[in-house]
Amino acid sequence: MTESKGRPGSAGQRPTGGDKAVATQKKQYFRRKKVCRFCVERIDDINYKDVRLLSSFIAERGKIVPRRISGVCAPHQRRLGDAIKKARNIALLPFAAAI
Amino acid sequence: MRIYEELFIVKPDAPEEEVDQFIEQMKSVVSSSGGSVDKVDKWGKRRLAYRVDKYREGAYVLFQFNAAPETVKEFERRLRVSDLVIKFLTVRIDQTLKRLEKRKKDRDKRAHRKAAAPSPAPAQPSMAQQMLGESAAE
Repeated sequence: MTESKGRPGSAGQRPTGGDKAVATQKKQYFRRKKVCRFCVERIDDINYKDVRLLSSFIAERGKIVPRRISGVCAPHQRRLGDAIKKARNIALLPFAAAI
Repeated sequence: MRIYEELFIVKPDAPEEEVDQFIEQMKSVVSSSGGSVDKVDKWGKRRLAYRVDKYREGAYVLFQFNAAPETVKEFERRLRVSDLVIKFLTVRIDQTLKRLEKRKKDRDKRAHRKAAAPSPAPAQPSMAQQMLGESAAE
């Protein structure tokens, strides 16, 4: 116990992010690497008034799409979430959409 | 002084003149307290994402103004009192604008530097580098 406590920061051992492209030899599938749309298209301003952009990041029921699905990077997901919540408040986006 | 954005929804069945009159009134609220109205934008009628006070649609009006915090308080109070307005949202945007401007400046600077010193082309440019190169060429 004490030994493991003594060196918690052994850098090489730490697991890395799970959403990386994986093309292992054992399993015969290839996962496409997801990229953050805001980084690629250089969208600086995630504005709550831009309903068309925001609605591509909400699910059918009106929920915010998690970034493990959409591939958005953390800083942009944070701003995206804020923008969606503002848009919901002023009835541009639904809190819960009916199907 | 701070820059604010005020988006509010007016009842869809309100007469046009009344709305215009109300907008003028709100403008005077800002200017009388030493602020300045930068932009007033009427989006027109839009469908609401959910029902608000039994209305399924509403007319959106966007204000952008430069004012002190106390002005916003008064502005919001008026919106709340008014029968025309069914919903409103106030957003402070000066910090956001500042951040965006900085990002744009940094980006321009970087592009400038790239253009000034063309890097020797690597044998097999990676995807990211290709994309960067393309956007720099633009």
